[in-house]
Amino acid sequence: MDLQSEAHGVAKDGSNTQGVYIYRPATSAKAHGERPSKRRKVQSENKEQLSDSSHTFLPLFNGEENETSVELRYNAYRLLWSDQENKIQEVLRDVDSEVLENVSSFVRSTSPQTYDGCIPTALITVGSNVSSLGRLLSKLNDQLTTADEGGVVILESGDAPNLKTTLKNIIRAAVTNTEGNDGYQNFLTDREGPRLLGYDLDLLGDYVKRKGVKKLVVAFRDSEAFDPSILTDLLSLLSSWLDRIPFTLLFGISTSVELFEGRLPRSSVALLRGRYFEIHGASNCVDRIYERLQGDQNGRFWLGRNITGILFEKSNDYFQTPEAFSRTVKYAYMTHFFANPLAVLLSDKASANMQQGKLCEAIRNLPSFRRFCEHLLDEASTEKVRNLLGNDEFLFQQSLEYLETGQQRMRDIFQAVKAIDLCLKNLHISRKSTIPDLSIRALSGELQDSTFMDDLLRGLKTLDSSKLKEFLAIMPQGFTDLSEFQDIQKDFEALVHTYQGMEPLRSEYDSHNSVVAATVVLQRVKLSKSKAKLPEQNIKYTKIIDRVYSLLERYFVETLVRPQDLFLHEAFLLDMKNPLKEIFSPRPRFAIERALASPFDYLISTSEKMEARISAQQPATAILYQLYLESGALVNVHDLWQAFYTVFESEQGDACDERMTMTLFYRAVSELKALGMVKSSRKKVDHAAKSAWVGL
Amino acid sequence: MKRKQPDSGDERPVSTPKRQRTKALNGSVNGNTDANLPAGASPSKRVKSTPQKPSTATPATLKDSGLKTPTHKSKAKALFSTPTKATVVSTPSRARNADRSAKKKSARLLLEHDDEEDWDGADRLAEEILQDENDTAVAENGNGVAKTIEAEDEANKTAPTPKRRAGRPKGAKNKRSPTPEGELPAHERYFFQNRAGPPRTSNNTLNKISLLTHEEYFEKMAKYADPCNTEKAFLLDLHHRSFPQWNFEFEQGFNICLYGYGSKRLLLQNFAKWLYEKNCSAHPSIVVVNGHTPNISIRSIFATIVTAVLGADIPSKMGSQPAEVLELLQSALKLRSSQRPITVLINSIDAPPLRRAVNQALLARLAAIPKINLLVTADTPNYLLMWDISLRDQFNFVFHDCTTFAPFDTEFDVVEEVHNLLGRKGRRIGGREGVEFVLKSLPENARNLYRLLLTEIISMFEEGHNSDDEMEGKAGREGDTKDGVGIEFRMLYQKATEEFIASSEMMFRTLLKEFHDHQMITSKLDPSGMEILGVPLPRDEMEGVLEDLVLS
Repeated sequence: MDLQSEAHGVAKDGSNTQGVYIYRPATSAKAHGERPSKRRKVQSENKEQLSDSSHTFLPLFNGEENETSVELRYNAYRLLWSDQENKIQEVLRDVDSEVLENVSSFVRSTSPQTYDGCIPTALITVGSNVSSLGRLLSKLNDQLTTADEGGVVILESGDAPNLKTTLKNIIRAAVTNTEGNDGYQNFLTDREGPRLLGYDLDLLGDYVKRKGVKKLVVAFRDSEAFDPSILTDLLSLLSSWLDRIPFTLLFGISTSVELFEGRLPRSSVALLRGRYFEIHGASNCVDRIYERLQGDQNGRFWLGRNITGILFEKSNDYFQTPEAFSRTVKYAYMTHFFANPLAVLLSDKASANMQQGKLCEAIRNLPSFRRFCEHLLDEASTEKVRNLLGNDEFLFQQSLEYLETGQQRMRDIFQAVKAIDLCLKNLHISRKSTIPDLSIRALSGELQDSTFMDDLLRGLKTLDSSKLKEFLAIMPQGFTDLSEFQDIQKDFEALVHTYQGMEPLRSEYDSHNSVVAATVVLQRVKLSKSKAKLPEQNIKYTKIIDRVYSLLERYFVETLVRPQDLFLHEAFLLDMKNPLKEIFSPRPRFAIERALASPFDYLISTSEKMEARISAQQPATAILYQLYLESGALVNVHDLWQAFYTVFESEQGDACDERMTMTLFYRAVSELKALGMVKSSRKKVDHAAKSAWVGL
Repeated sequence: MKRKQPDSGDERPVSTPKRQRTKALNGSVNGNTDANLPAGASPSKRVKSTPQKPSTATPATLKDSGLKTPTHKSKAKALFSTPTKATVVSTPSRARNADRSAKKKSARLLLEHDDEEDWDGADRLAEEILQDENDTAVAENGNGVAKTIEAEDEANKTAPTPKRRAGRPKGAKNKRSPTPEGELPAHERYFFQNRAGPPRTSNNTLNKISLLTHEEYFEKMAKYADPCNTEKAFLLDLHHRSFPQWNFEFEQGFNICLYGYGSKRLLLQNFAKWLYEKNCSAHPSIVVVNGHTPNISIRSIFATIVTAVLGADIPSKMGSQPAEVLELLQSALKLRSSQRPITVLINSIDAPPLRRAVNQALLARLAAIPKINLLVTADTPNYLLMWDISLRDQFNFVFHDCTTFAPFDTEFDVVEEVHNLLGRKGRRIGGREGVEFVLKSLPENARNLYRLLLTEIISMFEEGHNSDDEMEGKAGREGDTKDGVGIEFRMLYQKATEEFIASSEMMFRTLLKEFHDHQMITSKLDPSGMEILGVPLPRDEMEGVLEDLVLS
């Protein structure tokens, strides 16, 4: 450390004073051949790296994983994710398509002429779906530019500090959009007559004339953040140029149209005319993405209950764009393939010839393997267990097979979840169930006992024949493939076929078929339900319902297993809360407070001096911070210094150098100040004000 | 009690001996009551002995002995609410035993609970009672009737105290220590420490301690051996191990934000080196930004990145606005599809020069460019507040806790920061010594001008002190508050010409410029537009400099 920092001190000196520089190693000239000795530490890591720079994965198993499996893991990840990414894009495109179509047809169909000289304006409320507007605009731009009709200029509030800059930005963005940056420069210089300034709309008019632009869309992404007075000026200016430049305006509104209108003077509002579009909230979109990713027919890898919980907790607690959501999912995938050696099993090319001792050892160490073996022993297949433990090849074969069955089980689970969701919606059961809700239950193995299932099965009993038909049509394939189901289906169709009545068939569980009788018994009204006499066909129908009911119940019990009970679930199911939560919702304040309040949480001490108390062994800032925690809102710096000094004095005795301690004190105070924990106070001489309270 | 002592110095001699005496009395009374209760005397006596005890004992004994004052009972009830611990002290008396109903027990329990939370109130109460008891002790020499009256008074006095606790009685505030006892919840602690009132800190100042100069600081720092060196090195090594992971995250289109306590400059430097050496064949372009550099501009960052991308063929005009440079960069990266990603490492993205919202928005746009890999570090605890949802979206960060415990030596000017905090400005040029040193090397004329300036300002201090109100005295340090005191430019010029220091305004300005260059004077415009000249030194130092000037 010492050596390093010293060496760096020299190397850094030149560069550190610079604010920004292009990195060159201190001895860049001879970087290839001999390495300076100070790089020894980093170098040892590098050697392995240098050989395979094609991908960024590291060999696991303490570096003993072989090249091919590392590469397989990497490729498996890339394939899997690009697949998922496509699905996400599909969902997004699907979600956006409607609004995009509306907006683009609006842009194409309207013109100042159709609006009596007003600027055609589209108001788009985005609500929580902040990112959707960006997607929309870029797609609109693509449409317009490919059709050579014009383009979209996107303005953000930061682009509009004043009118001149705003105009300049509009003009430049419009020109560079089609001509590129060089084209813009040329456009500025290559023209006859006097040189025009960058904010002269004449430039834009010229450009429109030259290129034959039919639509120039100016989009205000965050319209609320624009200065209303600039907006007013800009609108009046644009409207006066409307005969030469075909503007169409587009406002992204996060609040409401009324508020937007209220901020502008009436004269400006009078210049605009147009339509109002609405983009729907993000949560619906997120649900769909999740369903698409997890419930895929050919899914190979799933996110577990905890991760699902985090994902939806996040998007419920605060606005989260679909992009951010899918990035979090992506990161989960990344962690799995980067750090879990078992992920290699998910590769298509995972074949027996790439088996290796380490991987088999890892499989044998899995908790799920142990459970699996215990299960086998219960079934008295000791031979198999012995084989699994002793024979690598056999184990590997078995693992691949069980992996496949496990994955099939997972697919079935999600099929069932989707079916349950559909059924619940179909039965109009009042409670709102969403795929994520159901998935969380299913992934923790609780769906079977949940109220959703009760509702579903109870609802099933009351179905009449026409509804049952619809119901059976939406059953998952795993269910309809059962031979019993085929029989039931046949019987049911036969029954319906013979039945001639107008009314659909009802079972005896249907409330239509029970009679409520009110009798007065001992001055009390007594309600009693009794079964009305049923026609024979209805009795037959009831039997069919009963059969469906029991079959369905059995199917769900079989399908909705706990994923954690599956052998090798560690390979295809990721369910760790931690990296995700810390990586996407960090708690920096907590981290800093912890580092300062108990520094040895981080500095793993080699000696035995770990103490909770303040001691001179701790870093100076940590000592000072702990003293500072004890103080009130106003801190006497002199007293603080005395306390600080006492800590050192009591420990080091006469050896304590006061000036040195003061140097440390200075450093600590300056750090606390930079961390925003103290600020200078004018209340009293030599006092500082406390500005951070721990735990708030 | 103990923790109050240092603050309530004046009270101590009164209260402590009293306390001892009560103890003694207590013992004897206990003995008395054990033996036989003298019916009439007992209540007051007990009141006197341990003021807390009567809260349980009095009503019972009164009832028992059939004494007068029918109001007592209700008042005595109120007594229950006085939070005291002493109630549990057992004086086995008939009266009390009779009174031990479950209800009272539970009430007592509640009170004891209350007591622990609010030791402060209880303590004060105890002290008050002790004082009262002192009075009663004096009055006790009277007859029996007087006694009971006293007892009643006693009851009246102690009863309302809980009410008083809500709004603190005068004087109690000053006695308190700023640290509340026990574990207050965080918000309670905040309000406790921020309650109104004068500051409750000692009046010690750093005047007697000679503060560090830059030279001394660096000299000492060079000698310092960190006891946690190995631990810190280990910590850094741990972070080094995540380099491949960061690289993977970069590759997957994420940007990285490192947070946690400690300077992360070395870590970034090592990461840059690691990246550089990893790709021996084609070195990646790495741009390093130091956020703490005082006059760093976003434009210069962007311009450097453009240079890194384009190399030799940079356009002659990049544009003066950062947004223009950014757009240039965007289009350049779009055109060069084979361009390898540029890694941008920003040290302390939350440093004051970069902190502004405009800058953050621009950096977010930079981060959103696909070919830019951005790694930033953040030092402050609340840096997340800089970014709203759309910025967060553009940044696309993954966060890693990289606590290093490394000192911020290169980031901050430690001595300057501390002196700023203490309101001691002007130390930068070495204070008085620096000014004197500069003056020595200046010509006679300049020295005379400075002498004139000092004389004028000091005389203005004198006038100011006579006329000004308390503000000055209260506000503390001279140099700190007297920033505003200065002499008007024209006036100084006039005086200078009168003394033949400067014959023309030109010359006068030249002389002033010299002072300005050495930061020996301050100049600012007052509201009416006049230029006011001042000296950035505390008054005593000004006087010292003037003395030396006159003597030399």
